[in-house]
Amino acid sequence: MRTISRSGVAVTVAIVAGLVAFPFVFQANWVVNIAVFTMMYAGLATAWNLLGGYSGYISLGNAAFFGVGAYAIANLFPTSGGPPGATPFLIVPLVGLAVAILSLPIGWIAFRTRGVTFAIVTISLLFVAQTLAFLLHSFTKGSQGMGVGVPLFPVETYERPFYLALLAIFVFAVLLCWYVRRSKLGLALFAIRDDEDRALGLGVDTEVAKLLTFAMSLGITAMIGGVWAYYITYIYPQFAVDPLVTIGMVLMVYLGGRGTLWGPLLGALLLVPAQQLLAQNATTARWYLILYSGVFLLVILLLPRGIIPSVQDLASRLRAGRHRGTSPPEAAVPPVQTEAVP
Amino acid sequence: MRLFVQAVILGLLAGGVYALMASGLTLAFGIMRVINVAQGVMIILGAYLSYTLFTRFSIDPFLSVLIVVPVVFVLGVVIELIFIRPLRPSDRESLSLLVTWAVALGIEGVLGLVYSTTYRSTIPSYANGSWRIGGFVILQVQVYAFAFSVVILTLLGLVLAKTRFGRAVRGTVQNPASAALLGVDERRVAAIGFGLSVATAAAAGAVYGVVTPFNPGSHYDLISLLLTIIVLGGMGSLPGTVVAAMLMGVSQALLATYISPTSAKLTFFILLIAILVVRPQGLFGAVERGKL
Amino acid sequence: MAHGRGGLLVTVLAAGFLAACSSSSGASSSSSVSGSASTEPIVIGISLSQTGDFSDPGKAAERGYQLWADTVNANGGILGRQVQLKIADDASDPNQAVTNYENFITKDHVDLVFGPFSTLLSVPSAQIANRNHFAFVEPAGGGPDMFAAKLPNVFFVQPAPVLACGDPFVNWVLSLPADQRPKTAAYVSLDDPFASPIADAMQAKFEAAGIQTVYRTIYPPETTNFTPIVSAAAAKNPDMWVGGTQSDDAYGQVKSMISLNFNPKFLYLSNGASSPVEFPSKVGANNVNGIFSCGDWFPNSNASGNQDFINAYTTKYGGDAFGIDSTSAEAYAVGQLIQAVAAKTGSIDNQTIIDTLHTGTWPTVEGNLSWDQYGMPQGSDMLVEWIDQKLLPVYPPDVAQQAPVYPKPNWGG
Repeated sequence: MRTISRSGVAVTVAIVAGLVAFPFVFQANWVVNIAVFTMMYAGLATAWNLLGGYSGYISLGNAAFFGVGAYAIANLFPTSGGPPGATPFLIVPLVGLAVAILSLPIGWIAFRTRGVTFAIVTISLLFVAQTLAFLLHSFTKGSQGMGVGVPLFPVETYERPFYLALLAIFVFAVLLCWYVRRSKLGLALFAIRDDEDRALGLGVDTEVAKLLTFAMSLGITAMIGGVWAYYITYIYPQFAVDPLVTIGMVLMVYLGGRGTLWGPLLGALLLVPAQQLLAQNATTARWYLILYSGVFLLVILLLPRGIIPSVQDLASRLRAGRHRGTSPPEAAVPPVQTEAVP
Repeated sequence: MRLFVQAVILGLLAGGVYALMASGLTLAFGIMRVINVAQGVMIILGAYLSYTLFTRFSIDPFLSVLIVVPVVFVLGVVIELIFIRPLRPSDRESLSLLVTWAVALGIEGVLGLVYSTTYRSTIPSYANGSWRIGGFVILQVQVYAFAFSVVILTLLGLVLAKTRFGRAVRGTVQNPASAALLGVDERRVAAIGFGLSVATAAAAGAVYGVVTPFNPGSHYDLISLLLTIIVLGGMGSLPGTVVAAMLMGVSQALLATYISPTSAKLTFFILLIAILVVRPQGLFGAVERGKL
Repeated sequence: MAHGRGGLLVTVLAAGFLAACSSSSGASSSSSVSGSASTEPIVIGISLSQTGDFSDPGKAAERGYQLWADTVNANGGILGRQVQLKIADDASDPNQAVTNYENFITKDHVDLVFGPFSTLLSVPSAQIANRNHFAFVEPAGGGPDMFAAKLPNVFFVQPAPVLACGDPFVNWVLSLPADQRPKTAAYVSLDDPFASPIADAMQAKFEAAGIQTVYRTIYPPETTNFTPIVSAAAAKNPDMWVGGTQSDDAYGQVKSMISLNFNPKFLYLSNGASSPVEFPSKVGANNVNGIFSCGDWFPNSNASGNQDFINAYTTKYGGDAFGIDSTSAEAYAVGQLIQAVAAKTGSIDNQTIIDTLHTGTWPTVEGNLSWDQYGMPQGSDMLVEWIDQKLLPVYPPDVAQQAPVYPKPNWGG
């Protein structure tokens, strides 16, 4: 357990305050629109990081639960129900809780496997969810799509409530990550990441740790999906459950730094506006998938630990160089083991 | 009864092709502990190459394999050298998944640029031909594709069993440390093995393109199917993959006929769940390493 | 404190991001919002699917829009102002389409917007246009959700909403003497908002008229093996086969029927069979006769401006009239409407467009169009049939170029 550092709190407050103030300072609708998508991915990436960064279990199925949250909101607030106002934002946490609980049996089955088999199972989950989204007409209306009620927010600041809602979810996710890191759950997850069998041998309840984290991660993902459905006003299976959403959030975490607190936000801040910029230009738009793939490969091969840890390493080395003889300060998070274990 | 037998026949024919597609995937995992999510896109790449050879140069898709296989083999070796070799062994399993997914996206992007997203089909003259045998209708191309898959799989099996390279591969799969001590060049085995695994996929793709319309995005459906097959069969086990592929093909056909085509898409998932609950290592898998 | 350091990095980057945002939010295009008298160009924002699932029809729409812009500019523009299209790719993704229209309207301050391809992208985009009081004249969003949104600014530029596509066929079949009508029917459709609902609507009407349903199924998108589906339906031996289809599955259904040697007396495919060039090339030119389909536009229709459109299209893009995708005609018609409003009212103000188009009938290459208060067109599509290997309108009688041929001749004939 480490003590709360003053500078850590100060930075956190500064970032959150900045994010809250953003739409009030930069009020142009199109800017807040991009901010909405950025915050959406920041939340998704942070939620993914909870399981993927701390425990090392790579889940590639998160987009499935994003879709569940989206369809839940669409069912609760259909177009025919009239303008829903702020109610969906209040209901979304309940949706998240419900999904977290529902994910437990799924997690139980999935965690019967380890490592890469687990990843494959979660990929299958994703495709099954997409197929179910097409099939379960009573819940999703299949490929017809579902319309969501449109609120009567004032047009000049229409996007702002959505941004603030997603910001709230993001902050919640970050606080959760911060709390978990410092708790026994976090220790269990790190132990699992380093060597699961040894953790088991030491008496760590790995099953509960993994399931709890899985549920929290997916509950948050579903909440974000719900707000997204409300924002876009019309959802259908190909995009409510979209493999590229999973790839996007994973890429952002790897880019920013797996297992770090602010890495996912960094990844989102870099990639979402970049993506928008690419789409505006007709030439680059055609290369969209290729560029995405290229960035991903570069990150994994050249900067496998992500930006924040790499920058931290650099800073440590510089400091070690200046203070000869003093050992470099410990990184806040045990680094991801990338050296070959003998 | 007739409907049942028809479904089983169709399922077996499809299963044979799935077996060929999945064989490379399980091979790559067995040799290098690499999950090649790009296997699906390699199949589609093979389909596109053979489509181009057919529409531009009138080369029959089954013959085009002679060109497609070497080309994709080289591509596979290059991918292994550039993207997979740099990964550290302890990370390789999970990172290879992400790396190959990224490669798959890149190839999908290139195919989309070159061919656009229109669905294509390679349509040789015998494409619509069918045989009526005892009241059952069987599409000629499905039989040709099945026979072709059997031939290639047999060849693959012979290579693994009889050649020096094959022995090196099997040795590496069973115990890389001992294999290295015995003089097996693990890196060479990895590169050639990966090239071989995607080349077989492309070969399957060449004939797949005759039976099924495809576009760059088709690889998602394929890869989900193939990943389930190898988990079902036991990752790293070639016989397991073949059995699992047949099982998958028949189950899909039966579900499509008796319940609905849509629920057939869920077959792979139902089978996967069943296996995971009962026997997580798959039908033929050992708990740790697989045996080819 | 490392996590502080990471946070610091994020703060720095965020600040940079903010700086970038603030510098570009000041930029906007020079045109004014309400098109006041000037010689500045009329900027029209359009989100098109240049990549992704909708890229083929998306590119066809782009051709139609561009052709219209070139034609109108060559004739002096609209109200003396040149038309300038501002096109962004949405990669067939609704998130991107939403962002594109947000950018067009609130960043670039375009004068007008035109619709993208597909109901799936049009519905969320129309909301943005609506709350900013922009007209949303769109070529390809005709699914029921578009009208269920109850937006007053929407105009779907086709003669009839998508679900009504099968009505001409239903009306014709039910107009036949009772002994010539089919007694039994099979409905085999694609799970797609523009496919199965059409078949479902037709099924309801046929059942009400006493035609018995012997088989019904809906198959998922990307189905490629139609043999099990078709053989199960064919086993019930229906007189009439109604396929709610798009293109590839229409070809798939037909090819399966041929290989199973099943020939229904009446065969209707809502889409796919209406492609003048693709259909015969995919199923064989000698297999097309007798198949019915529906459509909103055909090269040989005599709708207003159609001949000029075809001439201009073939001059600019080459090929012949039968290679033209109807999406290009739909896009062209959108532009025609704006021109017509300008000619009638002397203004292209968004509110004027909305008010003006809601009354009267407007001639376009898609026919004479009129709408209800939520943008649903009030006309009807055409029933077309392949006769002597040519695709011809056969019903209703006022647009028919030949009487319908029935029952369906055998395959290869």
